Amino acid sequence: MRPLAGRRILDLSAQAAQSPHGLAAAMAGRLAAAFGAEVYRPDGPRAPKGALGRFLDAGKRIGPAPAAVDAAMGDSGALAGVSAPVILRFSVFGPGQDPPMSEFGLLALSGLLDIVGEAEGSPWPLAGHQPAYAAGLAGLAALLAALRAGGEERIEVSLFDVTCWLNWKVAAAMLVLGRIPRRGGARADWFTLPAADGHIALVYQEKDWPALREMLGLSDPRFDTRAGRLALRREFEAAIRPWFAARTREEITREAQARRIPIGPVRHPAELLSDPQYLARGFLGPGGMPALPFLVDGVRPHG
Amino acid sequence: MRVLDLGWLTAGAATSTLLLDLGAEVVKVEGPGAPDPFRNWENADPEREWWNESPWFNFTNRGKRSLCLDLKDPRGQAVMQRLLARADILVENYRRGVLAEFGLDPALLRRRFPRLIIASISSQGETGPERDMVSFGSTLEATGGLAALTGPPEGPPIITGRDVNYPDQVVCLFATAAIIAALMERDRSGEGAHIDLSQRELTSFLLGEELIAAAEGHPSPRHGYGPNGETIRDGMAYWPGGSAPVRDGESLARAPEFQAGTAVLRAPDGTPVKGIPFRLQSRPLSVRGPCRPLGADNRSVLREAGLTEEEIAALEEAGVVATRPRRGPPR
Repeated sequence: MRPLAGRRILDLSAQAAQSPHGLAAAMAGRLAAAFGAEVYRPDGPRAPKGALGRFLDAGKRIGPAPAAVDAAMGDSGALAGVSAPVILRFSVFGPGQDPPMSEFGLLALSGLLDIVGEAEGSPWPLAGHQPAYAAGLAGLAALLAALRAGGEERIEVSLFDVTCWLNWKVAAAMLVLGRIPRRGGARADWFTLPAADGHIALVYQEKDWPALREMLGLSDPRFDTRAGRLALRREFEAAIRPWFAARTREEITREAQARRIPIGPVRHPAELLSDPQYLARGFLGPGGMPALPFLVDGVRPHG
Repeated sequence: MRVLDLGWLTAGAATSTLLLDLGAEVVKVEGPGAPDPFRNWENADPEREWWNESPWFNFTNRGKRSLCLDLKDPRGQAVMQRLLARADILVENYRRGVLAEFGLDPALLRRRFPRLIIASISSQGETGPERDMVSFGSTLEATGGLAALTGPPEGPPIITGRDVNYPDQVVCLFATAAIIAALMERDRSGEGAHIDLSQRELTSFLLGEELIAAAEGHPSPRHGYGPNGETIRDGMAYWPGGSAPVRDGESLARAPEFQAGTAVLRAPDGTPVKGIPFRLQSRPLSVRGPCRPLGADNRSVLREAGLTEEEIAALEEAGVVATRPRRGPPR
């Protein structure tokens, strides 16, 4: 599937004044290239280096762009004076609102930092470049819609709005229910636990509890209700830790999945390079390069 | 553009909402025996129309038409085939195999409706040895590599949990793009497509540089607050060159830039609903309407599909179309 074949796109990510804007534009450009566009990425001070560069520049033409392009993407400064039928502009809060910002700052301002972590401990930022990459995905969706519609369009993507959009449950709980979700709060019964060879993610729904209780061999009636497990979180965790610590991630996952409990192993990206599922579906190419994360009629799209 | 939305919870349903925002007409199809699980909520009152009152469901599914149709019944399956004949896009995120049980096997649909775009959003994808692995969003953070790099350098890996379920959120953005890409491809070729989207693969894709670094023999450690000296002190997040308050939900809701933004918008009746993560200058986007009651559009949707009043009445009489779930809220 190469729906953007024949389209020329100017990727001004390396000219961005701030890192989040550059990374967002780079991701949108990366995916546009994977969808078949000729993506031109002129060199600049924010050009990604090392593994980041190999990932984000894949499929792009590094250097000057032809005079006429179908679309251009970047921040306000990079796009000043640029002419293209479709303009995709990234900002912090909206057009022209670009105070100093980082992805860490975006997570903090959106509440998506505060909600991640254990109640007693610090909040923790999502790894990698999630706020910027998510903004790149939002920009890509709007860019494709605009190119398909034809004509001129100016797309505005606010990095802050996208990060808040990802964190909608916190906003909705506050605005609709008047309840403030707290990190490690009343709904925090999913967490990681040490296994014999790493960690697993304990994830389950109430309907899974009888199967989970049976798997763990628990008989303490204090843990029979969700309210009880949440109220006695530390005691509950202490009661179940030995079962997990005595087994490997694979053993735990096998036992849980046999009972249809959505527990899974914590895997490092290095382990994913030899992951059987990824190998079977041809997700990772040479050098660990990920393909587009979908198949079309059973075939992995090039790009 | 007509979308049939078999999406549940966030991943499928919010993808269809984005397509709605971009101009599509979306009909959400739910069975009376198996409505979207988002309709079940912690304060559901069995004495009331609890299925129409779920804040999570209503927030996500605003503006869609609602058809309550039993896809387990052969008569419901026949109706679905008529709807598909007029549809451009089918969005689904059922457990693998369920679609086929409803006579909606993607390969069959591709043959019968060659212009149809079928977007299957699943945790692992349709193929592979782990295709049947049961996962929620936070399971995929673990299996996709995100959790291993999130959290304290010397402590346990961290998952986002029920209040975020991060992969379920971000997949909606990518799935929308993939569906529009397939539409563009159809514009050129006349051919539809079956998009088999793996949420786990997307989670890993969004760590692409980490996969490459690992393959080059330089796997990243867990950086905690970040690799560039980021830290948190006294409720503030600091990074080289800036700082910001670490907001909770309450301070977020009060923030002027949040109120002026597009992450949460208002339905015409004033209800806060899921927003739109971009703006288009030539076509201001807005929320079309509030969430419709279950089955509120049964008759109009079925009429448009060519069913007669007698046929519709017979389906209602048989309970194949309905306006309420067959069971009460789970206790």
